[in-house]
Amino acid sequence: MSLYIDIPEDKEQLPSLKTGQGKLAWMASVDHKQLGIMYLWLALVFFVIGGLEAMMIRAQLALPNNDLISPELYNQIFTMHGTTMIFLVLMPASIGLGTYLIPLMIGANEMAFPRLNAFSFWMTCLGGMLLYFSFFAGGAPDAGWFNYAPLSENNYSSTQGVDYFLVGLILTGIGSIGAALNFITTVLTLRSPDIKLNMLPLFVWMIFVNAFLMLAAFPLLNAGLFMMLIDRQFDAHFFLASTGGSAILWQHFFWAFGHPEVYIIALPAFGIISEVIPVFSRKPIYGYKFVAASSIAIALLSYSVWAHHMFTVGLSNTVNAFFAISSMLIGIPTGLKIINWIGTMHKGSIRLTTPMLWAMAFLICFTFGGLTGISFAIVPITWQLTDTYYLVAHFHYVFLGGSLFGLFAGIYYWFPKMSGRMLCSKLGKWHFWLFVLGFNLTFFLQHVLGVLGMPRRIFTYPDLPYWKVLNMLATLGAVMMFVGMAIFFWNIYKTLKKPRTVGENPWDAWTLEWATPSPPELKNFDEIPRVHSRRPLWDINNPDNPDKKLN
Amino acid sequence: MTNHYLLQATDVELIANLFNYFLIVAGIIFALVIFYTFFYLIRYGAKRRPETPSQVEGSERVELILAIIATTITAVFVYLTINTMEKVQDIPENPKPFLEITGHQWWWEAKYPESGVITANQIYIPTGKKILLKLTSADVVHSWWVPELGRKMDMIAGVNNYMWMYAEKEGEYLGTCSEFCGVQHARMRIRVTALNPKDFEAWQQKQLLPVVTSTDALFLEGKQLFEEKTCTNCHAINGTEFKQNIGPNLTHFASRKRFLADMKENNEANLRAWLTNPQAVKSGVKMPNFILSDSEIDALVAYINGLK
Ligand code: HEC
Ligand SMILES: [Cu+2]
Repeated sequence: MSLYIDIPEDKEQLPSLKTGQGKLAWMASVDHKQLGIMYLWLALVFFVIGGLEAMMIRAQLALPNNDLISPELYNQIFTMHGTTMIFLVLMPASIGLGTYLIPLMIGANEMAFPRLNAFSFWMTCLGGMLLYFSFFAGGAPDAGWFNYAPLSENNYSSTQGVDYFLVGLILTGIGSIGAALNFITTVLTLRSPDIKLNMLPLFVWMIFVNAFLMLAAFPLLNAGLFMMLIDRQFDAHFFLASTGGSAILWQHFFWAFGHPEVYIIALPAFGIISEVIPVFSRKPIYGYKFVAASSIAIALLSYSVWAHHMFTVGLSNTVNAFFAISSMLIGIPTGLKIINWIGTMHKGSIRLTTPMLWAMAFLICFTFGGLTGISFAIVPITWQLTDTYYLVAHFHYVFLGGSLFGLFAGIYYWFPKMSGRMLCSKLGKWHFWLFVLGFNLTFFLQHVLGVLGMPRRIFTYPDLPYWKVLNMLATLGAVMMFVGMAIFFWNIYKTLKKPRTVGENPWDAWTLEWATPSPPELKNFDEIPRVHSRRPLWDINNPDNPDKKLN
Repeated sequence: MTNHYLLQATDVELIANLFNYFLIVAGIIFALVIFYTFFYLIRYGAKRRPETPSQVEGSERVELILAIIATTITAVFVYLTINTMEKVQDIPENPKPFLEITGHQWWWEAKYPESGVITANQIYIPTGKKILLKLTSADVVHSWWVPELGRKMDMIAGVNNYMWMYAEKEGEYLGTCSEFCGVQHARMRIRVTALNPKDFEAWQQKQLLPVVTSTDALFLEGKQLFEEKTCTNCHAINGTEFKQNIGPNLTHFASRKRFLADMKENNEANLRAWLTNPQAVKSGVKMPNFILSDSEIDALVAYINGLK
């Protein structure tokens, strides 16, 4: 008897853009490129929604003692804003870029499990829709994106919002686990035979490492979510102290997922930056091995830092010291990466294109967010400043200045590949400057507000010295970001109406996706170029000065 | 003064110092990153250097040196962190708190176990003395934070947390609940009044006096209404059988300058508005609207305002 099951050759072609008709082709597609684009559209749609929520928040906080929005609504809005931006924008955008690019970058024609790929996408989409359905079912979740018990338990909820939160996130969590499995299997089994693991483009490598993080983090979250769902629906007592449960247990579950999640969102951006900066500096990445290896260090360490979100719950000094040390340690590989990226620019020949601009903004803003992050590893500083606007500012520097700026760099960079059209760089610069300046105006000032004592998650605040003017300016910054985003959408709309003009390799880049037409055919590669180094197209274009052979 | 504690930095100063060290080091690192980013962008722009650069792949030696520098800086901060932590959060084996505070949605209950004073929202402490606080919660997670007086510490039902608080000068210190705790989290603010030890003692003695009685007709009517309208199901009056702590203790309510967790000044108009419809003043609050008639409110106000 054979140990292997023969996989039958597909008789029919799988549904996709080229074979099917119209919109149904999208809905039924299992093509990784279509799914990747759908992930990106999903992220974009939710980015608009989450952005409007942010604008509501800033409108309410523009003035002290404002009563534009009721506290009940405000709490729903900020909860939904955070949840949306993390689970329905940054996650699907990173997964989407990965889904689109991984097969192309490793010389494969599909993901390892095309149907699982579609399933993952639709799970994420369904989760997002359920989450938003809560608005029509009495009220959205209102206990914050980390949904602390017991505030999130039945006794303290007046709506079913938290139930929608739980079920919605369980679904997106399942989607993320599916995507992670797919990434790992694809990278391990479908690489072009020439490509050894140490020759992977860094974007692929980061997504690959990241997939392991996701695979370990999301089951933790889902376990916690299920426990709370059982609490709420069947009156269990996992997180209710009054009946023998523990509110702190929820915090452990959530942050044991939640901190890796920060890196899950950051690593893809690191990957993008590691592609963009070398290409536009005309040099290979500085310290490939270090950048690759330090990601593993980050992934491992990110599992031992979660309690730095809990320095004020009253853990002992010993426990706090352990988590302080591990949190500071994780700063080392992250910080050194920044030096590698800057080192890549050293003695380069830098083209300051729109993707490169975003990469530069990433370098500066992410460094800033990383540094304020270190201040939270210094336990006594957390004892003063956690849960203030200083913290809000910090994590927006990480999530926007880091992840989002990285994603923007990636979108401007790969847009020509995906659509066959180049985004207008003049509008791109308007988008860039408005967004980056607005971002810094809003969030830099919030550090000051935090030090002045303004706590986060308040729908209104008294007219204390400086609070008014700082909040007003923060709102002004938000308006600038809003206008910047409108220009970005206009740019996409305008560009998509133009004919396809872009050739295979408009940026003169080096990785395999640029060896396909823009956009690629349904079948990615009829013939895969031979790969001997980390930069196959460089070798082809510079036959007299190729990279060192690695195989 | 020979107060031993004054010879050292206070907890707040210790933390501020640590923050300043951090700011200096982080500032230098950030300045370097900005400098090199802009410097390279200008110096190595493609216009200036159109030719293909040499394809350098990095240097392991540089990498190693940088890693050693980073680790050294980290080690220094680990040391400073643990050192400060141990000074600030130094709780004795059998803690005897001077002040016990319980967070409620959305007000503060305060007990002084040594003297037996029980009060709410308006919190008094003596100056020049390190005060041990015991913190817990009656419902969801809250967090106690008065930035000028000490660290912040979460209040969790079923858990007793301890921390130190210290006021050097007399005066009012503002703070706020800093863990999201539901609808009115924003209005769960703190005001701590620090008095010199003598005045503090006098305040305590006043709080320990039995509840005021009066023969004023309106006062008595209010007192009766207070019981009939089930106010006593939630509010305690010391020296009576009513000991519920779902709402603030009202024994000496009229002696407080502000009420509703520092939201409103304690005057007749505000009290009237509150009793007319609590939900309109602080929506979502855990006190129902009793739909009282004007005359009932007159009586209740006379009673509560009489509780000096
Ligand atoms: C179901 C419980 C409940 C009942 C019954 C109740 N209260 Fe309250 N009361 C509260 C709570 C809770 C607060 C604190 C609200 C806050 O600040 O968030 C409060 C606050 C107050 C305050 C302000 C106290 C302070 O220091 O901030 C007064 C005065 C008051 N109630 C009077 C009354 C009167 C008079 C009645 C009866 C007509 C009454 N309450 C009935 C729960 C109750
Ligand atoms: Cu609170």
